[in-house]
Amino acid sequence: MLPKSLKTTLTAVAAVTVLAVPATAQDKLKIGFLFPSPIADVGWSAELNHGRQAIEEHFGDQVETIFVENVPEGPDAARIMNQMAAQGAGMIMLGSFGYMNDGLKLAQQRPDMTFIHASGYKLAPNLGNFQSRNYESSYLVGMAAADVTETDTVGIVAAYAIPEVVGMINGFALGVQEVNPDVTIKVVWLNSWFDPPKAQESARALMAQQADVIYSLYQDTPSVVSVAEEEGVWVINTSSDMKDYAPNWLLASQIADWSTYFIESTQATIDGTFEGTAFWGGMADDTVDVKSWSSSISAETMAKIEAAAAAIRAGEFHPLTGPILDQEGTERLADGEVIEDGAMASIDWLVSGVETRIPQ
Amino acid sequence: MDVLIFIVSGTLAAATALLFAAMGELVAEKSGMLNLGIEGMMATGAAMGFVALSVSGSHSVGFLAAAVLGAVLSLIYAMLTLVFRANQVASGLAIGILGLGLSSAIGKNYEGKTVTGLEELDLGPLSDIPLLGPMFFQQDVMVYLSIVLIFATWYLLNRTKLGLIIRAIGESPESAHALGLKVRLIRAGCVAFGGAMAGIGGAYMSTAYTPLWAEGMIAGRGWIVVALTVFGTWIVKRVAFGAYLFGSISLLELSIQAFGVNVPSQLMSAMPYIVTIVMLAVISRNPVFIRLNSPASLGATLKLN
Repeated sequence: MLPKSLKTTLTAVAAVTVLAVPATAQDKLKIGFLFPSPIADVGWSAELNHGRQAIEEHFGDQVETIFVENVPEGPDAARIMNQMAAQGAGMIMLGSFGYMNDGLKLAQQRPDMTFIHASGYKLAPNLGNFQSRNYESSYLVGMAAADVTETDTVGIVAAYAIPEVVGMINGFALGVQEVNPDVTIKVVWLNSWFDPPKAQESARALMAQQADVIYSLYQDTPSVVSVAEEEGVWVINTSSDMKDYAPNWLLASQIADWSTYFIESTQATIDGTFEGTAFWGGMADDTVDVKSWSSSISAETMAKIEAAAAAIRAGEFHPLTGPILDQEGTERLADGEVIEDGAMASIDWLVSGVETRIPQ
Repeated sequence: MDVLIFIVSGTLAAATALLFAAMGELVAEKSGMLNLGIEGMMATGAAMGFVALSVSGSHSVGFLAAAVLGAVLSLIYAMLTLVFRANQVASGLAIGILGLGLSSAIGKNYEGKTVTGLEELDLGPLSDIPLLGPMFFQQDVMVYLSIVLIFATWYLLNRTKLGLIIRAIGESPESAHALGLKVRLIRAGCVAFGGAMAGIGGAYMSTAYTPLWAEGMIAGRGWIVVALTVFGTWIVKRVAFGAYLFGSISLLELSIQAFGVNVPSQLMSAMPYIVTIVMLAVISRNPVFIRLNSPASLGATLKLN
């Protein structure tokens, strides 16, 4: 047994040695990534990882990336990001909302580093956050859903009623109504971020009530997509393209591509020009897009979709443009009024025509 | 009508994984072994079953591999508690956590992948009966096996000599030992059976019910199993009733949401838990009856040499 003081000294020496190493290799930017779930072929973490690969491809030898997947929010996340900082990371990507407070704390301790955080709302001079305007692509897939439905019923499987999800349901519903105002829109709230069997049960529950298009909203696994393929029901999914899981019945996939933002942030870190801003990427900057349109969508609707997409890209059209009534019949946006970004970021009401109430 | 079919046929399928694991846990608990590692064993079974099915292409191989690994995990628990006399609660929790970690390691390269689910059994004309056919006779073989398992478990515990021995050991392992019964061996056997059934239950989730592997997909169902055995007061028919009740309320909740009924969905999501616990608590409210059925040595450290 070593005396306690000696043990402490040895630990301290070891710690200093570890810290001393990266200082010699300062010219190469080390970027750390924290992913909230295992990196699979598809899903949220997979898309963030594509952003990491894009950085490696773009900068080559200038950067080195390290990553840890399946990091639980809380003390583990804090430990891992501190360890990355100790290993000499100059930039860290925080892939989950719940990493926000620990990330902010570290950002304040280490003004020499930069941080980019997914879907948070707190900022610092060296901490920026990023989100996508998925409601734009939701509007487009909603138009397609209205085109293919024969029962005039579409169903949505959603996780939690957070503003981003609510905004996407609204975008989707408005897209549906643009093509066919008579379509009934049903929602099942899972009240769970991750429960593939329950997501699949929800899809079946919606099918039992005549829904012949299922909108799988932020289900990270192909649970809903594969049951739709099995049952022969149209399906739309988010985050990743899941064409391989439903070759016959995938109507479209909404995708988010973080490459541009990740590369810009990395460049800014290298140049020393990084500013902690809130990035809200949409179709205009190619962060958001729709892939794998089904050929079963009618040519007429497809032309409408393309026109709407072009208008959104050009900044001429916002899916949430008045007149819009909420479920209670209250006018939320007057004729011609466009929702402001602040209101969109904290949206907590559903448009009229959506049958299921929002959980309060 | 579709909704009714969805709920009835869905309940049979939804309860299947719970029934396998619960019948196994019931036998283990009747012998006095409180195995709290069910969640981990189901997760390991789900991962192992999925990988074995992906590699071999055979569902039977998947279930077999899941059962074997579940049994191996539970035997570690048996060794800790019976040989080294470790605390049952702590050991069970530790093995459960080990199982969750193991499931993640086994399924690492299969994350987010899908397989073809178990096919429905062809029951000929039965499957074509209107209403009843789609409700009861368009299910996969494991759904029917889980029903057979309910009766087999009841028969084993209440009508066989082995069942009597298991129950005797659960009441007082010391007395059973004095009678010359092999307490450790029988307890280990019961625990291994429980682990194997939990493994099969897990594999049912990943290869039949939701044919895909994603880490964490068991999502607390192992804990429901533990709760069902306790709230079902260790009586086979009550545990089975609890599993079906839980399954049906889970699906009913989703259907009610889809109907657009104005009820807070958080409350709806809690309904399966609330209803199952309240119902089982109501039918099991007789304290004398609970004491009679509860294995007296459950969770206690073995006091034998």
